[in-house]
Amino acid sequence: MTTSSNQPVPDSSTVQADMLEFLAKRTGTAWAADADVFGSGGLSSLFAMELVVHLETSYGIAIRGGDLRLENFRTVRRMAALVDRLRQPAPGGSGGSGA
Amino acid sequence: MRDPVAAAASAVTALVGDRAADWDRTGRLPGDLVRRLGAAGQLAAQIPAKYGGPGWSSADNGEFTAHVGSLCGSLRSVMTSQGMAAWTVERLADPAQAAELLPRLASGDTAAVAFSEPQAGSDLSAIETTVTVDGDSLLLSGHKTWVTAADYADLILVVARMDEGGAVVAVDRTAPGVRVRRVAEPLGCRAAGHAEVRLHGVRLPLSRLLGGGRQPLSLLVTTALAYGRISVAWGCVGILRACVAAAVEHAGTRRQFGRPLGRHQLVARHLADLWTAEQIAARACEHASRCWDEHDAGLVPAIVLAKYVSATHAAKGAAAAVQVLASAGARDGHVVARAYRDAKLMEIIEGSDEVCQLILADHALRQG
Repeated sequence: MTTSSNQPVPDSSTVQADMLEFLAKRTGTAWAADADVFGSGGLSSLFAMELVVHLETSYGIAIRGGDLRLENFRTVRRMAALVDRLRQPAPGGSGGSGA
Repeated sequence: MRDPVAAAASAVTALVGDRAADWDRTGRLPGDLVRRLGAAGQLAAQIPAKYGGPGWSSADNGEFTAHVGSLCGSLRSVMTSQGMAAWTVERLADPAQAAELLPRLASGDTAAVAFSEPQAGSDLSAIETTVTVDGDSLLLSGHKTWVTAADYADLILVVARMDEGGAVVAVDRTAPGVRVRRVAEPLGCRAAGHAEVRLHGVRLPLSRLLGGGRQPLSLLVTTALAYGRISVAWGCVGILRACVAAAVEHAGTRRQFGRPLGRHQLVARHLADLWTAEQIAARACEHASRCWDEHDAGLVPAIVLAKYVSATHAAKGAAAAVQVLASAGARDGHVVARAYRDAKLMEIIEGSDEVCQLILADHALRQG
């Protein structure tokens, strides 16, 4: 997927709010921004892939290689931080393709 | 089908000809056939154009996979392995690794992905194959079983344990310490090159660790299997299409008790169920491919659903087709006999029916 330059850039708090809404909708549970969503009683690793796809398509980023660590998805705050970081154009970074 | 897909499908039909039965009986695909399809990028047609691949959508590649699956389940299995390897690289590798490996996989090099071990089948958290960093290189040891297409593969992607997490390591088959041995006489997809892979202190450059490694094992496996499962599911649609064609042809021409078989109600019911099975499996696959192409977050359950629905229907449908053809189809090599054996294997690989059921039940419970 190509990051579109005319796409509005959400700030971190918007990403957090969006992700909390997404998680609540998909899991039927309300989460705090710093809750460990993969901790005990949390989400399955299958859901991790769903999260990856959702983050990529919602924010026009490609989460590949070394960024694909559970640490980056453990809390909504960390997801927002990952989105922030990947939205910065990385020298030599790959835009990647979707899915 | 779009034109390039239809053209590729006709070309494969011509390449396979009437030889799939022989390949099934001898347990081998011609090496030049695999290379030729690989060089045309058709073993992994979703490799993006920027890496030299055809860049097909999942929907297009799915229809193509079903077509190949209707001709030869073994060749389709080799495609599944190649596509899964390419997808795993695309997803997990860093840009430099992708730029090195994907053009190879789009231009003739073949690949397999090694998950299972003697003590780790459905429970891949139990894998023991381990990769460590030793100075400025990697050291990989372990024992993988039932690696589809490994006997044809130039490159084997090995799922391993690394510290507290997991890793995928890209291993050239010719690396010292790698030994590949064919599985003797597999039940189905007999020419798909299933093999066991032994890795004895294989030393590799650090660059062979996709994305730097230490990713969660379950996420690695889920990611790789996403492609494997949707590909197997489409392959099962192909099995069903071959069975519908064979059963309809036979039931329409063979006469018993003064009328065509298909005009006997008990045989007609087999035909109705078989046709229905193909339609159900195709719809489930189309839905999963649409989720894939539209980057829908509901992709994972859609894929597991497609795999489960298609494999179970293919197994039932193939059994019905053998029943309709009876003695006309009851010999090794015959399209319905191959379908019967191949489909049974499809209920086992890339997540058995039972593993799929557990995932789907978990999904249903979480949806509340």
